[in-house]
Amino acid sequence: MLTPSERERYDRQIMIGEIGQEGQEKLKRSRVVIAGTGGLGSPIAIYLAAAGIGMIRLIDHDQVAMSNLNRQILHWEEDIGRKKVDSARTKLKNLNPAMEIEAITETITEGNVSKLVDGCDVIVDAMDNLPSRYILNRCAIEKNIPFFHGAVNGFEGRVMTIIPGKTACLRCMYRGPVPQEKFPVIGVAPAVIGSIQATEVIKYLIGIGKLLTNRLLIYDGLKITFSEFKVNRNPNCDHCGSSSTQFLSPGGKRGG
Amino acid sequence: MPVNIHIHATHRQFTNGLEVVAVEGTTVGECLNQLIKQFPGMEKALFVKKDKLLNTVEVYVNHASAYPNELAKPVKDGDEIHLIIMLAGG
Repeated sequence: MLTPSERERYDRQIMIGEIGQEGQEKLKRSRVVIAGTGGLGSPIAIYLAAAGIGMIRLIDHDQVAMSNLNRQILHWEEDIGRKKVDSARTKLKNLNPAMEIEAITETITEGNVSKLVDGCDVIVDAMDNLPSRYILNRCAIEKNIPFFHGAVNGFEGRVMTIIPGKTACLRCMYRGPVPQEKFPVIGVAPAVIGSIQATEVIKYLIGIGKLLTNRLLIYDGLKITFSEFKVNRNPNCDHCGSSSTQFLSPGGKRGG
Repeated sequence: MPVNIHIHATHRQFTNGLEVVAVEGTTVGECLNQLIKQFPGMEKALFVKKDKLLNTVEVYVNHASAYPNELAKPVKDGDEIHLIIMLAGG
């Protein structure tokens, strides 16, 4: 049930036919993990907090640095040196005090990822490197939790939504390791991509619209174009393929 | 009618700024060889060695993934090849 204060706060989005009071209540009951509180994590967390998600769990091992401030809009100059998840929690709590926020300062590894995402309805990818994304992707498939991928470089970005056991995953087009490099980026790129990821999360949690599944969306900020590419589930994928031993349904039985 | 290869923004330094290059070929691999003949700088932008694409390069034919065995994927006149770079930043 929504309180009178919540009905007032979310009035404009409850007016959206696809959301309504029922959709708003679903958001309130939802638990979301955002992996990373940097360039992507900032807009994702702000818009999900503003939209009324009940609980957001923030995971980031890093501290705020001056060079983050061109894009990581949850963090301000006064936060330099502070843990990113603490800086983020302060801003989000000021925006929406009623919501629950869990702030975890840990590096995501194969060993801890399952515990870190436990009990959540969705996992949002706001990482800054591919190895961590693959750890999250595999865990999302193992635990049957939808995974919302986003990545940026320069003025460009990409988004894809992964429903375990049903749609192509991040690993389905894996061609081998990629060297990790410092990447160029301007804040407006993760702003666009993070907002699309947050849109996908809201749609999924309420159960509306058409998700970006089996479709890779590529945004070119220099030309302002969005291109869509069809991707297929790979039966030989080592994370979600039929030959993989990784995919288990919630009941522990092997899934499709 | 040729096959059109759409060049990624970061690769246009190797194609004199061209966004689309027209080539002839019956497979993706043949088309990329034609591209490299016209613009030799594209070789190191796409390949780690002969017939082995860099792990960061993704190939789409008519807006659909050509993975796996991208180079052997057949193409015909009028097809569109997009060369996209995997992104890792956040």
